[in-house]
Amino acid sequence: MLRLDRVTKRFGGLTAVREVTLEVAPGELLGIIGPNGAGKTTLFNVIAGFYRPDEGRVFFDGHDVTGRSPHAICRLGLTRTFQIVKPFGNLSVLDNVTIGSLTRVTSVRSARVDAERVIETCGLAPYAGVRARALPVGLRKRLEVARALATRPRLLLLDEVMAGLNPAELMGMVDLIRRLHAEGLTLVVIEHIMAAMMRLARRIVVLHHGELIATGAPAEVAADRRVIDAYLGEEFVLAQA
Amino acid sequence: MTSGLLARRGGALVVFGAAALAPLVVRDTFFLDALVLILMWGAASAAWNVASGYAGQVSLGHSAFFGIGAYSAALLSARFDRSPWVGLVLGVLLSLAAGAVIGYLSNRLRGPYFALSTIAFSQVLLIVASRWRGFTAGSEGIPVPFRPGFWTLGLGHVAWLYLTLALAVLFYAVEVYLERSRVGFQLAGVREDEDAAEALGIASRRLKVAAVTASAALTAVCGALWAQYVGFVDPFYVFSVDLSIRFALNTIIGGTGTALGPWLGSILITSLETYLRATFSGVKTGFTGIYLIIYGAVLILVVRFLPEGLAGLAARWRTAAARARA
Repeated sequence: MLRLDRVTKRFGGLTAVREVTLEVAPGELLGIIGPNGAGKTTLFNVIAGFYRPDEGRVFFDGHDVTGRSPHAICRLGLTRTFQIVKPFGNLSVLDNVTIGSLTRVTSVRSARVDAERVIETCGLAPYAGVRARALPVGLRKRLEVARALATRPRLLLLDEVMAGLNPAELMGMVDLIRRLHAEGLTLVVIEHIMAAMMRLARRIVVLHHGELIATGAPAEVAADRRVIDAYLGEEFVLAQA
Repeated sequence: MTSGLLARRGGALVVFGAAALAPLVVRDTFFLDALVLILMWGAASAAWNVASGYAGQVSLGHSAFFGIGAYSAALLSARFDRSPWVGLVLGVLLSLAAGAVIGYLSNRLRGPYFALSTIAFSQVLLIVASRWRGFTAGSEGIPVPFRPGFWTLGLGHVAWLYLTLALAVLFYAVEVYLERSRVGFQLAGVREDEDAAEALGIASRRLKVAAVTASAALTAVCGALWAQYVGFVDPFYVFSVDLSIRFALNTIIGGTGTALGPWLGSILITSLETYLRATFSGVKTGFTGIYLIIYGAVLILVVRFLPEGLAGLAARWRTAAARARA
């Protein structure tokens, strides 16, 4: 469904993403992990059209989307969320999600109905009338997901939607992602919280200094020497044992 | 539903309704003149609101489009003996083109840089209009001939009142459309966060260009009518930064990004101006600049205590009333 072919992105002398080749199958839930500054978010920005890669190509659903604008890519069915959430602060939760729905539906009335359903799915129904900027961070992350879902993606890129959540919120988010996946949505998830990632993803790729250093099932990746050195650390291995 | 509609549109009904009924009660030209100007400056501010309020592309050079409209109508009528309506259409077409160019620039420039580039654009037009003596009569300005009739826009005060009222209602409807339609929602998204809007499938750049272009065209309509109403076009007035600031001031005081706000602000500012002009004109020339001090003070008070403008105040009352009833 998504294929990256030797994608490289440089900022001046810094290579943020180096020759990443990656494939995501339809219906898959792929996890991306790696230390801060590893290039995870840059990779999302390249996939979703916010950055044009210096080298390599991005294919989505058979289309070469390299260098296309984010809105065109979204309309093809690939939507991303932002690590630093970007709610439409002065608008209500319902209006936020309605704007997402309007990408697929032309009538405002049916977009509202659509948005109400998505809000329900994401557990935001009690906050539909609340201004987005008044939401606490946990709900903002949910709003970010809800708004993206309203565009009816076939592939959803989630950028650290679990960061900063309390344990109860985290459970809710894991549950939501699982449900979406069970309904057939393909997902790529960036996450720092290893425990959540181990429970969600069947396959994890590890980025370090912009390069893919490992890929495999969660348990394999967690046991990989390079991954332990680069990211997880010895404590993680001990805790797992 | 009906009561909700009345609550939301009641303000507009009062303002425009009062203007419509005014000539039945008052025949005083001083008063009618003030009313025409209130409606006209309100409409021009509403045009500004489309780009700056709804799309978030804050312009401080909208006098450029106003001037294009004014000069088109004045030149066609004074030099080529054409109807000012033809001039109005020409002004709109020229402003569409100019607006598209400026709007396109806004893709690269954000925030203050966009505002600065719009100021520069209006000042370039000011220089052209004031130096191109052979065509525009330069800094002397152009007197617009008065020929009675609707086609030539030589109208009495009452006719002007209803014409500007029609203009105001039309522009108000455009703004209501921007609040309720698909494109309005998408524009709100672009204003709030362009990256997020783009990620959600909204062609943000095209939308911004469209908003600035439409805003420019609406402003030109006001300029053309204003030239005909006042009967004289002075480049240092129609292309001035002062005028651009007036559009912004009316809207900010009335409520940026609200449909009725531009007229609420215009009621306050235009009547204040009319009053000050009547009080201080001629006698005490030392006071001619006093309006700037008063505008400044009003602006500071509004931004400090009513950040959502007079329309925000009305909304606050409505919420309070609804709560009291519940």
